[in-house]
Amino acid sequence: MKRVLANKKAIALFVLPAFVIYTVFVMLPVVWSLYYSLYSGSPGLDWEFVGIDNYISLFSDKNFLRALTVNCKYIIVVTTGQVGLGLVLALMFKFWLKRCKTIIRTLVFFPVVLPTVAVGQLFSKIYEIQPNYGLLNSFLDSIGLSNLVQPWIGQESTALWALCVMDIWVAMGFYSVIYYGALLDIPDDVIEAAKIDGCSGWSLFRRILLPLLRPIVITCLVFSFSGTVKMFESALALTNGGPGGATKSLSMYMYDVSFTYNKVGYGSVIAIVIFLICVGGSMLINRFDVKE
Amino acid sequence: MKKVKSGIRGVIIFLLCVIEVYPLFWMLTASFKQQSEWTEKPAYALNDGFYVENYIDAWTRGHMATFFKNSLICTVVALVFIVVFATTVGFAVTKMNWKWKKAVGRYFTMGIMVPVATALIPLFQIYSKMNLLNTRTCLIITYIAFGLSLSVFLVQGYLRSFPDDIMEAAVIDGCGIYRMMWHIVVPLMKNAIVTVLVLQFFFKWNDLLFSMTFISDSSLKTIQTGLLYFQDEFGGKNWGAIFASVSMSVLPMLVLYTILNRKVIEGMTAGAVKG
Amino acid sequence: MKRKALAALLAGIMAASMLAGCGSNKEASSGSDTKTENTDTAGSTDDVDFSGEDPQLEKKIKILTIWAEDNDNGIILNKICEDYKNNVNPNFDWEYEMVSSDNLQQKIATLTASNDLPDIFAYEAGAPLKKLIDADKLVNISEELEKIGVMDKLDESAVTLMKGLSGTDDLYDLPLGLNVEGFWYNKALFEQAGCEVPATWDEFEEVLEKLSAAGIQPITTGGADKWPATRLINAYAVRTMGNDVMTKTANGELDYTDEGLVAAADKISEWAEKGYFGEGVTTVDTGTADTMLTTGKAAILYTGSWYTQVLTDESQNPAGEDGIGFFNIPVADESVSSATSYSMNCGNILALDKSKYDEGTAWFLKYFCENIGNVAMEELGSIKGYTYDVSVDDMDPYTKLVLDELDKATEGFAWWEAKMDSETSKVAQDNVQTLLNGDMTGEEYMQSIQDVYDMNSK
Repeated sequence: MKRVLANKKAIALFVLPAFVIYTVFVMLPVVWSLYYSLYSGSPGLDWEFVGIDNYISLFSDKNFLRALTVNCKYIIVVTTGQVGLGLVLALMFKFWLKRCKTIIRTLVFFPVVLPTVAVGQLFSKIYEIQPNYGLLNSFLDSIGLSNLVQPWIGQESTALWALCVMDIWVAMGFYSVIYYGALLDIPDDVIEAAKIDGCSGWSLFRRILLPLLRPIVITCLVFSFSGTVKMFESALALTNGGPGGATKSLSMYMYDVSFTYNKVGYGSVIAIVIFLICVGGSMLINRFDVKE
Repeated sequence: MKKVKSGIRGVIIFLLCVIEVYPLFWMLTASFKQQSEWTEKPAYALNDGFYVENYIDAWTRGHMATFFKNSLICTVVALVFIVVFATTVGFAVTKMNWKWKKAVGRYFTMGIMVPVATALIPLFQIYSKMNLLNTRTCLIITYIAFGLSLSVFLVQGYLRSFPDDIMEAAVIDGCGIYRMMWHIVVPLMKNAIVTVLVLQFFFKWNDLLFSMTFISDSSLKTIQTGLLYFQDEFGGKNWGAIFASVSMSVLPMLVLYTILNRKVIEGMTAGAVKG
Repeated sequence: MKRKALAALLAGIMAASMLAGCGSNKEASSGSDTKTENTDTAGSTDDVDFSGEDPQLEKKIKILTIWAEDNDNGIILNKICEDYKNNVNPNFDWEYEMVSSDNLQQKIATLTASNDLPDIFAYEAGAPLKKLIDADKLVNISEELEKIGVMDKLDESAVTLMKGLSGTDDLYDLPLGLNVEGFWYNKALFEQAGCEVPATWDEFEEVLEKLSAAGIQPITTGGADKWPATRLINAYAVRTMGNDVMTKTANGELDYTDEGLVAAADKISEWAEKGYFGEGVTTVDTGTADTMLTTGKAAILYTGSWYTQVLTDESQNPAGEDGIGFFNIPVADESVSSATSYSMNCGNILALDKSKYDEGTAWFLKYFCENIGNVAMEELGSIKGYTYDVSVDDMDPYTKLVLDELDKATEGFAWWEAKMDSETSKVAQDNVQTLLNGDMTGEEYMQSIQDVYDMNSK
């Protein structure tokens, strides 16, 4: 078998075409932007070599630091939320649900299908306060909590959290489906045996299920993390980065810098930072992986 | 006591379903609303009447028929390549024996971390030099290239738990690498493949940035571009028509998903993302 | 006839900024290869006599815009191309492309980077256009129109306005609109609260107070889209400090932190605090604000004459043909800024790529300038900044209203961010939301603008 699996020709045939496409159209642009990062302005407009100036100005750029802070908060909340709630949902499906499993699993997946524009608009209508109270404010108003009625996405104190709720909602069904699959793989007798040993509820989860689910939790974390670092479309659709810069992420700032301010060079530096955060974070998460 | 408990559980699950399904329902009602209804009544109110104009607008003004066809061509072609590449690369870097397999595997998954907007200007210049701008080819290539990382990552995860003895048996039976791939590995990976298919389909179908940057010919534009026809220079938007076109563009995805649903879930289940 | 006077006055206001702009014209910094290429082709129309018959040159042009083919300027542009092909030059062809207005800058930046700008494209007047002018990417429209002999087809006030915006002696863009801005009000609500149309700023504030006391939301603005809110600051700033106040600040003659400007920012913040805008003004988008006025959810809205599109659409305007009125920004001191000075703009403009410009484009340009005024009037009943000689009989009252207001104008001034570079303008827009929410004082707001200005003018 070794010989078959070491077939050089086959390996070349399997890997090379994809390797070339991937290198030319994904990695080359990345390297290209490394080179861009040494220039000021935008190609064709004020394009001048400035060396590492762009990197230096990064540290004194208040807007960058602010976007970084916003982005970090978002990563922590949304990654935990998506991965955590996904797990909770999956456990509910596994232990609570007797009937209609397939239908419900299909339903929770729906939000993933919707384009971000639609989801953003939906949530902005849910959080709406003017000209009419949206779903949330009407609800608060009708149960007598009218002092809690507020412009959820219109003020700095709540906008980011409102955005987080939306993004957790969108993806939690997706993660729950992944977890659910993994839960089904755990043989029933393992759970039964644990129950006989007196494990139930929380301790069953901690001692038996969690260790078994660990690899999948880590994969989900990496997946969710790399998505949240690149936070862009959902914030654009719900708040457009506002109010002020309260929900402006690194990617949005990069887009502004590159295309609105015409500073593609500096934008590339920010992109590199995003990439590094992504790589660093994923490596950190992977350290929790137990090697078999 | 037990009854109460299961009752509560039922209610919670029911609420969950409502929360997850409500947006679709809402979108449908929204797509039948007249513009003035948005300000006159709360957004959660049902539509006053069926303002079908929105759908007509979306179909004709939004050039749905053309854009739909373009999206379909680009997405389907890209998906075929993604699936073929993802399986072969995934297999080569997890199961085959060669020197650089670990490094190449990592190299491929690194693409998940690339922020898309940085690639726009360099990519545009590459295509411009290759004379590919404004063709379906460049869009398809971009979709393939940017879809590879995640797909390889998923396939790799699945293959890690793929039993070696099956392959062993195949080799003993005299299978070469290609026959083994086609007759043994691919059929067993069906679920993982379907997962890749569905996920990538969603991503490509919802793409706007690439298609707007690389395609300028309106007979080649893709479905999400249609939404642009309903906003004006000063920020005014015709929401009814926008939701009508979103509803129409979501429809094929829902159909596809419902058909493939069992497979997708099994695909994910069967360790598509097993560590 | 008043147009002429208006043009002269505008010229005076903008003169200072032009001087400032000229110096930087020369040192375009783009790659040297593109430059040589540009100068070669730009001269190609020199020895052509444009007074004769169209030579029917084979030509295909690309047009990049932000308007759908069947909407607004898209209709006009396509009509012109079609007419030109059918009536004048059968060898002419065109490719029409639309991108979202949010992505226009990204698209243009990408195209500029690979030196592949379309023949004709829509762009933003002011600082963004200036960047392209400085990089020597654009056709000098004044020069070309002079050569072709159609300079007189452009409305003079539009020309002055546009030269002023880019701060250049020559014109580098074509207008595609001539808009006045001001306050629109819901007549029924005014009547209900017993309000009259205000002529002075003090009266205006009384009206707001009266409306508020009557339980009516006095004013609405698209705070989510940011620019409508900064227009309000601009309105007060101009009326209290003069039409040229924002030009002065852009030239460095006046600080953004000047007390007068701080007072203007504070004014908006004060209105927000009093609840004049209702709750959560930063979540209201332009479309919502537009219909809030027509559906009677708010009494006043500041916006431009393009608003007639909403007003003439029955599904969006339940207030009907006579339900909405217009008044210019009320004056604070007639000697500072007069009642006949209006906030004006040319909307998004059209620019022509220099390297692609040739005789074929020039002939099209000739036809374009000669006919667009009439086509716009016939198709949309609107003025685009060109002369026209057709009259429309069944003009709807709102379009009529706008034309009347345009006729009254003797002076014009630009919007808040018009003269700011794109980064300063972004900050001015982003932070206006913070200002409206009361998380920033007027002083802090103006300081934040000053900071970016200082950083970029170093």
